[in-house]
Amino acid sequence: MKESYRQTDDSELIKASIEGDKLAFGEIVNRYQKMVARTVKGMLGDSVFAEDIGQEVFIKLYYSLSEFRGEAKLSTYIQKIAINLTLNEIKRRKRFFSLFSHTGDDEMHEYDVPDHDHEEKREASEIVNKALLKLDPKFRIIVAMRMLQGYSTKETADILELPLGTVLSRLSRAQEQLKVILDKL
Amino acid sequence: MKPSEIKKLIIGSLDADSDTVEAARLLEAEGLSFDFRSGFSERVNNKLFSASSTVIRQVEFVRNMNFAFKRIALTGVAAIVLLMISLFLMEGSFSVNSFLGLSNSYDESIVCLLTGN
Repeated sequence: MKESYRQTDDSELIKASIEGDKLAFGEIVNRYQKMVARTVKGMLGDSVFAEDIGQEVFIKLYYSLSEFRGEAKLSTYIQKIAINLTLNEIKRRKRFFSLFSHTGDDEMHEYDVPDHDHEEKREASEIVNKALLKLDPKFRIIVAMRMLQGYSTKETADILELPLGTVLSRLSRAQEQLKVILDKL
Repeated sequence: MKPSEIKKLIIGSLDADSDTVEAARLLEAEGLSFDFRSGFSERVNNKLFSASSTVIRQVEFVRNMNFAFKRIALTGVAAIVLLMISLFLMEGSFSVNSFLGLSNSYDESIVCLLTGN
């Protein structure tokens, strides 16, 4: 077992993780946790629930590593898990809040438990968080992918498994919605 | 950067032909950072470990249930054998009627109806 995997490439890390090397898997977590945080927190807001989903992403990854065939990049594979789990969480919350409130999606964000470690946010973070949470989830994911992860339209379409045209039209509608939201902030 | 400039940057980052990597970098430089709390990796590892210990606990539970089931099954079989012996002693045979607790007597009204006598 190696002491440090910082210089090791993803395929070797995957191989070592499958063989039960916890250090190797720890390196995968370290390497991609920021990317997962951007997706999950961008979609769910900066809450403790977001961290739970983030942990779930890596737990799911750990148990599905043997199924990873290496056809896509590991980052894409992780990104897909993160998006699926986050969208499931949004659906779950929507169902929950539609049962217990009258307004549904808009109201659910008021129940987010703030992450006290990041209470002192800077202006850009506040603006982006507020704006993203007010966006329709199907637009939110596209905005999060482009604005926070820096993915191109094609990369976004590939990861979300959507036609390029759909991504472009959602992007333009998201931009319009975001303009209205940002004007009110 | 002023809030109005940040908003402009956000909107601009969604243009189809915008440099998304540069926009993301600029926003990050302005303090737009999404990170999990420190020690995230350790917490994931702990969860993975506790998950495997839960699996071990579940296996143990199933094993205990198996043991309990065997005892219950043996007691059940013994009860069935005793019931059959007592039925055989009372009825003198293992016919369906003796199992169902029906006597061999005919219902005369049905016999009359069927035969017309």
